[in-house]
Amino acid sequence: MVMADTRIVKIENLTKRFETLSVLENISIDVTHGENLVVFGRSGQGKSVLLKCIVGLLHPDTGKIFINGTNVLEISIRELNKIRKNIGFLFQGSALYDSMTVRGNLSFPLKRHFPDMPAKEIDDKVKYTLELVSLEEAIDKMPSELSGGMKKRIGLARSIITDPELMLYDEPTTGLDPITSKEISELILNLQKKLEMTSIVVTHDLICAEIIADRAIFLKDAKIAYEGNIKELTDSDDPFLKNFFSHELIKA
Amino acid sequence: MKLPKEKYGKRLTYGDYIYNFFATITGLTIFNIEFVKQAFLPPYEISEIKKHMSELGVKTLGIVSITGFIIGLVLTMQSEPVMIKFGAADFLPGMVAISVVRELGPVITALIFAGRVSSGIGAELGSMRVTEQIDAMEVTAINPFKYLVVTRVIATTMILPILSVYVIVIAIFGGFIAITISNGMNFVYYINSVVNSIEFGDFIPGVAKTFVFGYIVGLVGCYKGYTTEGGTEGVGRASTTSVVLSSLLILIFDMILVKLSLWLWPTLG
Repeated sequence: MVMADTRIVKIENLTKRFETLSVLENISIDVTHGENLVVFGRSGQGKSVLLKCIVGLLHPDTGKIFINGTNVLEISIRELNKIRKNIGFLFQGSALYDSMTVRGNLSFPLKRHFPDMPAKEIDDKVKYTLELVSLEEAIDKMPSELSGGMKKRIGLARSIITDPELMLYDEPTTGLDPITSKEISELILNLQKKLEMTSIVVTHDLICAEIIADRAIFLKDAKIAYEGNIKELTDSDDPFLKNFFSHELIKA
Repeated sequence: MKLPKEKYGKRLTYGDYIYNFFATITGLTIFNIEFVKQAFLPPYEISEIKKHMSELGVKTLGIVSITGFIIGLVLTMQSEPVMIKFGAADFLPGMVAISVVRELGPVITALIFAGRVSSGIGAELGSMRVTEQIDAMEVTAINPFKYLVVTRVIATTMILPILSVYVIVIAIFGGFIAITISNGMNFVYYINSVVNSIEFGDFIPGVAKTFVFGYIVGLVGCYKGYTTEGGTEGVGRASTTSVVLSSLLILIFDMILVKLSLWLWPTLG
């Protein structure tokens, strides 16, 4: 009997260099449907580059990236955009459109992707998504009026409003206080369960990883240095991991 | 669309400046080709173009009104003694009108527009670039070039000719005020002199070149903003270089277009 391929993301031998600096070297990762993969690593170790390669913002030098079986590096921009409609991306700085209100930010992808969707339906969807992130009252605010945590929530709401199958999070808790950071992490986990999404989370926040991760990988020197569940990584006797996680625990 | 990257830093060599010059020319050319390719493909974003036109018009109306009025006023005040000296005071309204219609109105409006709009577009798109808003658009399968660049370039191209015609009218009115103050010329006589001295052919090249100037302002502002690198410092650089480059290109293209119009309409000479 042939088993159905449950891998939603499959990365094979991915290499990305910036001039002479190798950021990712022969990286291979599989992410199965419904899984939450956390990517650890120190700053500048290529975590965000990995996400940007997956979503097509950066083009790797070599390797293959399959999303639902399609190699996104070998398709036209039109076909890539079809796949992108099924991917949500939460940027490190939230990347809210600062010329639009929260309502405008959330309705923008809906209006573009579903031009025939009635205004009432768009408005209901915006309100429902804001309810999911507990920020209904912010609907008519401008991004400049929001706190860091609120921006993350709105960024998250904008990313999930089109019901993506795959969510990519770039440092979702960076710059937030520990309590807000925990709240955002729990929110991500709850949404993932509720909306049955697959997630790849780039972070160096251990608390966030402990809440979210089903599995974690650790990038070091452009390679996957360690792989396993969070407990395996934090309990590891490896001096580097011990050092890294002890610092993270102190921070947390 | 792969654009060449310019070099930035505190210690640039002469070689780096020469490299940057050619990188800008190459980048602008590629950006221009991309614009032409995307401008004719749907969706046409009409509502966004209208929104930008109205915003740009409102943003610049005040400053171009004042500028236009002062140009007409000062030009008349400066020219009047000379014209009287040569016994040609009757030709003053015509001279002011021709100067304003053919050259001063379009070029000054374009330069003011470049200062006000090109820098604004450069800073706005630059800020969107460094805060990853453009990337956010791209990952949600929305074409940022089409939505941000094409709409703005079309809007600047369409609105500048309208503003130029408006400035010409205001400048001619400014000229009338100056003449009235100095020798109390009758308004009807002034307007008759203006209308009799301007031919329709004077308007065509004057206004036609403002389409090109508007295109330059939009394209340069968008190019500099869209390719911003280096955080907030990069945004400032995008804003400043947008004004400098678009003003320079306006003057260069003015020279080329004047020569071209004299070739196409020899009677203008």
